[in-house]
Amino acid sequence: MKWFINSMLGFWVLLLVISLGAAALVYEIWLKGRI
Amino acid sequence: MFDFAIAGVEAPVFLLALVGLTVGIVGGFIGVGGGYMVTPALIVFGFPGYMASGIDMTHICGKGLVSSVRHRQLGNIDWTLALSMIAGTMLGVELGVRILVYFKGLGISGVVLLMTSVALMFVLFLYTQIETRRAHKMMEEMEKEGKEVGRELQTSNLPRLFQTIPLAPIIRCRTARVIVSMWVIVLVGMITGVLAGFLGVGGGFVRVPALVYVVGASTHVAVGTDLVEIVISGAYGALRHSIEGNVDMMAVLFMIVGAMFGAQVGSIATSYVRGPAIRYILSYSLILATLGAALRLIYVLTGQNVHWLSLAAVMLTLGEMLFLCLFISSLVYFAVRRRGGKWVPDWVGPLVI
Repeated sequence: MKWFINSMLGFWVLLLVISLGAAALVYEIWLKGRI
Repeated sequence: MFDFAIAGVEAPVFLLALVGLTVGIVGGFIGVGGGYMVTPALIVFGFPGYMASGIDMTHICGKGLVSSVRHRQLGNIDWTLALSMIAGTMLGVELGVRILVYFKGLGISGVVLLMTSVALMFVLFLYTQIETRRAHKMMEEMEKEGKEVGRELQTSNLPRLFQTIPLAPIIRCRTARVIVSMWVIVLVGMITGVLAGFLGVGGGFVRVPALVYVVGASTHVAVGTDLVEIVISGAYGALRHSIEGNVDMMAVLFMIVGAMFGAQVGSIATSYVRGPAIRYILSYSLILATLGAALRLIYVLTGQNVHWLSLAAVMLTLGEMLFLCLFISSLVYFAVRRRGGKWVPDWVGPLVI
């Protein structure tokens, strides 16, 4: 976990994973079947 | 869900406001309209393509206005620069649209557009990322040596090259602290306008790097000044789209509800960071948009048969907006912690004020 905060690349990866996870959640709740 | 009568679709209102909010924050921070993120998102929500463009343009105008007012209060607008660019930008946009119509006549506009987007955004990402890393490293060394680090550090030699062009009239841009030939500024406006008109976007993601690396303005002033351009091009685009019947005002209003707040937050956030931090966020925005456009291009080139590609492009579009907002919020959070004397990661120090 420390690497994800102390390293810029790690932080980038951490935020990207959180964002894509949230995007997947948004898709599941609101957009499935519309695409 | 809300029934948008003019667009003829039912779409989730919460998502419209969320898109407005996130793109407002990003737009206010890096000086882009966000059309390259919003238009694909609106298409995903069910709006037809021409409506998505119209709604996006109209909301960009309103959001750009809010951001511009805030950036003016922060002293980030160079009016000489902005007004010199306008004529070039408008001319460039008209030329870009005509080039697009030409390729449309050949039946290859979609593929050409995607290829141009991918190539352009990738080149901009590479240059911005490499230069910003160099600036970041220099700032880290300066901090370690105990030297005072200013709000901006830029390591590219291009501005010096363009500032030596002796074509009259030479103008002084006081806020940007630049003395340069007016023709350089007009040319920057024209070339970025052509790209914007061709790609159907506001052009901020090209204009901000151009103002920094060609004209030599600081990143904060480039962001603020570019937002003025976006208000004007957004207003023109909104008028044209409204005449064509491409604007559903209810959708615009829902997005503006989020964007009004987001644009303020994004603009104010620039006062917590140094120039390289803004350029980092801009470069991340470019690479993620490149990936999304590349996935869409591959999807089109494979005959629109590989559906997971289209889905991946959608995920990336939605995820990109959230990612950029989280990064910007994190930078502000770390800036506040640092001001309070608390621990922040080493890489953050030189990026925040």
